[in-house]
Amino acid sequence: MKSPSLRNIFWVFLKIGTLSFGGVYSMLAFFERELVEKHKWITQQEFIEAVAIGQMTPGPPVVNTGICVGYKLAGIRGALTATTGQAFTGTVLAIMLAIFYVQTRDSILLRSIMSGVGAAVVGLLVSVIYKMAVGTIRDYRSGAFALSAFLALALLKLNPIGLILAAGTIGFMVHRGKVK
Amino acid sequence: MILLKFCLVLIVVNALTIGGGFVMLPMLQKEFVERYHWLTNQEFLDAIAIGQVTPGPLTVMNAFIGYKIYGLFGAVLAMISSYLPSIIIVMVVAKFYYGFKESRIVASSFKGIKAAVIGLLAAVAISLGNTSLVDLTTLGIAIISFTVIACTKIDPTFVILGGAILGALVY
Repeated sequence: MKSPSLRNIFWVFLKIGTLSFGGVYSMLAFFERELVEKHKWITQQEFIEAVAIGQMTPGPPVVNTGICVGYKLAGIRGALTATTGQAFTGTVLAIMLAIFYVQTRDSILLRSIMSGVGAAVVGLLVSVIYKMAVGTIRDYRSGAFALSAFLALALLKLNPIGLILAAGTIGFMVHRGKVK
Repeated sequence: MILLKFCLVLIVVNALTIGGGFVMLPMLQKEFVERYHWLTNQEFLDAIAIGQVTPGPLTVMNAFIGYKIYGLFGAVLAMISSYLPSIIIVMVVAKFYYGFKESRIVASSFKGIKAAVIGLLAAVAISLGNTSLVDLTTLGIAIISFTVIACTKIDPTFVILGGAILGALVY
């Protein structure tokens, strides 16, 4: 396995970060094509491992998979390079949109566009919740976790950061005997 | 001071984003909208839309929020703060992968968190829905958006662009 230069790592991750839209799975397929099949920087097995690490660490799974691959290729500098490359295009575009947004925020056209967009985002959120629920809530315990978290935030207005920490602690106490 | 708080919030939130990029939304909404009032609910929705239509992960929305609060410098700082926890944690885990994989503490607490965040997201969806679903048209757009994303493999980016076009035409 040849080890690529930082510049090459940057370019490949720039490409991944620029050309991969939306869905996690389409992004991961793109990752695999670039890193495993085309450049042969990592093996299929290493890729699967990187995906697993991406999913078991906090932060967006796809980004974490990229960080993990970068780290395997060239240590800390590889991880930083992969992150920068992957985040670059999206960040630049988001800043450009932000500049545009701040300048034209009072325009009637932008407000009407954004009212359509806002409604579409709510639909998107509900479908994300639906998909997560189908994949995760498989027993009454998970259902109870989800329901209590919902009530704690929606009715009691408790802090989500605290709720996530509490869910982790209670999850440990409830599941520790069962998780393999 | 604002900037320091802003970075700190992003670091904590990203370190606790367990189970997918959307998990940061309940925490971000609480801190940015409700506690510090740096954004309105509507601006928060707009930020999610921007994060979704731009390439790369949803995290990019933090650059948008950073710009909105503190200009270009805020945007760059937002991205650094968002990625910092991921970079550190992933490197540590990659190093001790097999130990981490077997860890009961991690597996059992993540199991609890992954279920709980679904409830948190549902609460956020209701709050954002209250802001954006103001009439039958917006309700219709939301229902179409949900149906298309849940039942087809169409990229959500196109659904949001579709919402933008419908919004421009109707209002």
